[in-house]
Amino acid sequence: MTQKPAAFVAIILGCAVVLALAPLILPPFYVRVGQLMLYSAGLAVAWTILGGFAGYASFGHAAFIGVGAFAAGLVEERLTGLPPALLLPIGMLVGGLACAILSAAVAYPILRLRGTFFAIAMLGVCHVCAELNNNIDVLQGSLGLNFPAVAPAAWDPAVFFYELYLAAGVVVFLIAWQIQRSRFGAGLLSIREDEDTARMLGVPTERYKRIAFVASAVLTGLLGVIYAHSLGYITTDSVYRDDTNLSLIVYSLLGGMGTLFGPVIGAFMLVFITQVVLARLLDFHLFATGLLLVLLVLAAPGGVLGLVKSWKLRRRAAATAPAE
Amino acid sequence: MNLIIQTLADGLVLGGIYALAAVGFSLIFGVLHVINLSHGILVLLGAYLALILSTTLRIDPLLTMPAVMAVLFVVGYAYQRLLIQRAVDRSPLGSMLLTFGVALMLQNTMIWVFSPDMKSITPGYALASFKLGAISFDAVRVSCLLASLVMLCCLAALLKFSALGRVIRATAQQTLAARLCGVNVRHVYALTFAVSAAFAGASGIVIGIILPFSPADEGTWTLNAFVVVVLGGVGSPAGALIGGLLLGIVSTLTAQYIGPSFPNVTMFLLLVLLLLVRPQGLLGNAFAPSR
Repeated sequence: MTQKPAAFVAIILGCAVVLALAPLILPPFYVRVGQLMLYSAGLAVAWTILGGFAGYASFGHAAFIGVGAFAAGLVEERLTGLPPALLLPIGMLVGGLACAILSAAVAYPILRLRGTFFAIAMLGVCHVCAELNNNIDVLQGSLGLNFPAVAPAAWDPAVFFYELYLAAGVVVFLIAWQIQRSRFGAGLLSIREDEDTARMLGVPTERYKRIAFVASAVLTGLLGVIYAHSLGYITTDSVYRDDTNLSLIVYSLLGGMGTLFGPVIGAFMLVFITQVVLARLLDFHLFATGLLLVLLVLAAPGGVLGLVKSWKLRRRAAATAPAE
Repeated sequence: MNLIIQTLADGLVLGGIYALAAVGFSLIFGVLHVINLSHGILVLLGAYLALILSTTLRIDPLLTMPAVMAVLFVVGYAYQRLLIQRAVDRSPLGSMLLTFGVALMLQNTMIWVFSPDMKSITPGYALASFKLGAISFDAVRVSCLLASLVMLCCLAALLKFSALGRVIRATAQQTLAARLCGVNVRHVYALTFAVSAAFAGASGIVIGIILPFSPADEGTWTLNAFVVVVLGGVGSPAGALIGGLLLGIVSTLTAQYIGPSFPNVTMFLLLVLLLLVRPQGLLGNAFAPSR
């Protein structure tokens, strides 16, 4: 798979085309579920650049969704004269830039922490951003922000955002894939496996961690900008969400931590389970998520891809055993 | 001048309670190296148990402490043996997520059982207060602070002088060496967890008397415990006390002089500042496992 990059890209783009045509036959409810699946998968892959590849599991990536969305919204609000087709790219530029600045600023103290300390410190970053956003009047966090309708008049907005999420998701996925197969990606992997040894062997761990952190934050912020536009109106509570923080970890855990396809599989599965299977059991949501988490940690710490891998190994062992 | 002294006094009272609420978290982290994200749930469980006991038996809520602690001791022991033990040797993230899953399930259960509304425990002397010079103290807050300090001293004595404490400290220092000397490490882990849960329950009673509580608060108490432990240092009641008092004073000072809507911001800035200046915590070695 990784030996033939051209074939890999062709397969991914082929899948993307199939997914892009799906809204033609899907009923509206499933177009919305599809939106959420693609958005979550994009976020999960952006998260995994830092959390999966480098092993720095962040528990506060919703901070970048919120900062990106609010930065974009505040700027777009002052540019109402421009055509809507221009507003979204400007918003994404501003949102991405804001996330880049924020992540570069917090990277220095935060990335000195490891493991669970890093995870919880990121949760702190998220809460602080939410609190500042909510309490500083200029930022309109508690009042809420309106976003202009950017979908072309001829398109159903639901389908438009579906395609937008798909395009963004594919871009994020291909970026993550390029990172994974580069020297930089190998460096991140060595940081995950043993940071001190990697540093001793000459891997510029500090710089690599910081780049991965900023890249992950910017991609998350861009998706946050699209998300805010698809909602049309946001407050602090609708973007700085703790369940997003948690879900991003669960996607990777469910699919397979540290892999490229794992987060995508995990996001698709979890969104399907919560939106379709458990749709009628709202009171039960917290409980079900908690139970899923407990079962995952106890029974399948490698996620779906981990289960597939161990199943393959076992089958190979069974196939070779009689021959000996 | 009086205002600042009054604020500091309030901060000390609050800090003593933060310290008691965090000491169990600190102990689990020091001995098992597990971040127990269900700690806040155990605190709330203590508060709800005390509420039920004190209203049905019509006794002072602080007197329910032995019963609440006994119940939570058993719960903590079983919780560790049945669930945590299975994840304790895996990655730290695994055990953290496990406890988070349990926290979500129990929070949902608490909402079903106790309703999502705010509750509070009101003892008979709720409105009594006395003055010391120009500073006024509520009888409730003072008795709660005293109870917290007494409990912290008890735990410190338990860890320092008893055979159980010696075994717990040995396991925390070097698990392998303790095992070689014949310590049943699983049992010690479970006992540590049970002691932590019991102290979380005791702090729940005190919190329930001073502040209103609801199932949604569990995250706050877990996060507070984490901050206290990072500030003070892992694994010792003294570290929890220092961290708790510091956090209490900082949060009352910001509420008084900056505004009540920024509790997390100052708490977090303090944390970052400390990480840059003294990453091992004020006492002890908060970041040894994180490096």
